[in-house]
Amino acid sequence: MGAVPPVVIQYLAQIVNSGLALGSVYGLMAIGFALIFNSSRLINFAQGELLLIGGLTLQSLTQALHLPPAAALAAAALFGFVLGHALYASTLGVSINASPLRQLMLTVAASLCWQGVAIVVWGKNPVMLPQLLPLPPVRLGLLFFSQDTLTALALSASSVVFLSLFLHRTRTGRAIRAVSMNPVAASLQGVRPRSCHALTFALAGVLAAMAAMAVGPQTMLRYDMGLGLGLKGFVAASIGGYSSVSRVFWGGVVLGLAEAALVLLLSGELKETVTYALLIGLLVLSPREQESERPA
Amino acid sequence: MSPAIPRSTRNAVGFFAILAAVGLVLPDYRLLVVNQYLFLAINVLALNFCLGLGGQISLAQGGMAGIGAYASVLAHSHFPHASVLLVPAVILGAFAFAAAISRPMERLGEGFLAMATLGVSLIFTNVVLTMGDVTGGSAGMMVDCRLYVPGLGPLSGDRTFFFLFLAVMACGCWIFAALKDSRPGRALLACKDDPLAASSCGIDRAALRSLSFGLGGAVSAMAGVLHAHYGGFINPEQYSLELSLKALLFLVIGGPGNLLRPLLAVLILEALMSGMQFLGDARTLAHGLLLTVALLAGYWRGVGRKPAAGRP
Repeated sequence: MGAVPPVVIQYLAQIVNSGLALGSVYGLMAIGFALIFNSSRLINFAQGELLLIGGLTLQSLTQALHLPPAAALAAAALFGFVLGHALYASTLGVSINASPLRQLMLTVAASLCWQGVAIVVWGKNPVMLPQLLPLPPVRLGLLFFSQDTLTALALSASSVVFLSLFLHRTRTGRAIRAVSMNPVAASLQGVRPRSCHALTFALAGVLAAMAAMAVGPQTMLRYDMGLGLGLKGFVAASIGGYSSVSRVFWGGVVLGLAEAALVLLLSGELKETVTYALLIGLLVLSPREQESERPA
Repeated sequence: MSPAIPRSTRNAVGFFAILAAVGLVLPDYRLLVVNQYLFLAINVLALNFCLGLGGQISLAQGGMAGIGAYASVLAHSHFPHASVLLVPAVILGAFAFAAAISRPMERLGEGFLAMATLGVSLIFTNVVLTMGDVTGGSAGMMVDCRLYVPGLGPLSGDRTFFFLFLAVMACGCWIFAALKDSRPGRALLACKDDPLAASSCGIDRAALRSLSFGLGGAVSAMAGVLHAHYGGFINPEQYSLELSLKALLFLVIGGPGNLLRPLLAVLILEALMSGMQFLGDARTLAHGLLLTVALLAGYWRGVGRKPAAGRP
């Protein structure tokens, strides 16, 4: 067999580069989705808006004052945490005994509200978030990683590591996992399920803020980007299977790589069609017990 | 006194009589807006078949309305005067399609079904965008053929379409009420209350639910057909995910399973929301807040009715 032509290698390198950049963002969104879903059996339609508002606020902050990387990270995490709590307080927190359908719709209404806030405060034009964690681009043999890709990877990988450590090594993290497995048993052991629900929302907010830092410099931030990104997160979480943080994250990376490959091979719209067809197929085919009711 | 007419029937007759009176009184340019509300209301009714009867959430309503709209327009461009055959064919096709896709998705839980059906809506939009040479892509296409009824000629005008929408809605309501009172309807309600118990009583859950899902798809497609020929222009945006989400929101606000309350919720809240045009850019925020309040109001009313039940 002959050698692979250099154009193909360039294509592949391009796919890997852009796929990893987007994939790590999808992965972060997927973990947020899975955290909330596991603890409260609620599908959070406002996940993308967490990213949107977090990113836009960070952008305003960077314009107002010059933020060093560490301060930007801390500010993003803190704001995401507060934002997640606010989302919890306005959706699940006020309707803990309502039917799951009503709670789902409350997250839809919340996403509309936050989109409205984004339009009122930042307008309808796309906003560019500057690169706050500049890392030098790297060339590894045939592969090439741009600055944005490397930052996205660093942000997401460290988030995954910290989150896994938190969930497995700390008391609070173990409480969250206990509530995910069995809320009644957990509350008999003195865990308060409600504060765990709230904490998962807050963690999802932090992850979304990290994702915003990763995605902001790649694609601009616009008021209507939330739903699309949130959905990609859901697809990624379905690929990863909801059970472990790292697997859900890999689900995001796989989705990102697949999308990047499809964009180069097919058209943009066809990519979306394939992604959502994949989602339906995964949902229908994956063996999963019926969703259980969430005891309050 | 004789219990001549049941209360629900009286309410329904009153509701449609008031709407018909409104249609006769309002000037044409107002009907233009009201017809959009009616289009949405029919979609809410369609979703009520899936959710209120079958207990299955669906975000495919926008896609189904779009399928009806595009199928009818494309078919009419080849056979302009065959409405009498084409419209029933489109409706039947939509029924068969919705029933078919409901089969494999039947056993998914609430949230996952929402996501899968949402995928259906998004796939519809993207397929329309991809097939630009047939569908006009995102630019949409002009609809220059009207619905043609032998003896009446082509149908046009705001008032005509107001009454067409109203007739479809009344027809849908009648089917809904009749189905709810029939044996399959009761079986569907049983599936909704306890799927496991229902299927252990010998109910073929998947088949029944594909019936309700199919009916929902057919009603949405009918709304789409009317909407396409009424507006004279279609693009994927009119039948996007937003339509599905709106239909679901209004149905949840009005209470799935109720016949008239969701329709009333559409008409009142949509009128309120279009009254907010003066807010400019703050409109989206106001809509979101209004819908949140409506959702919470329904929840709190329910909580007030059965105090302390299951509350910590």
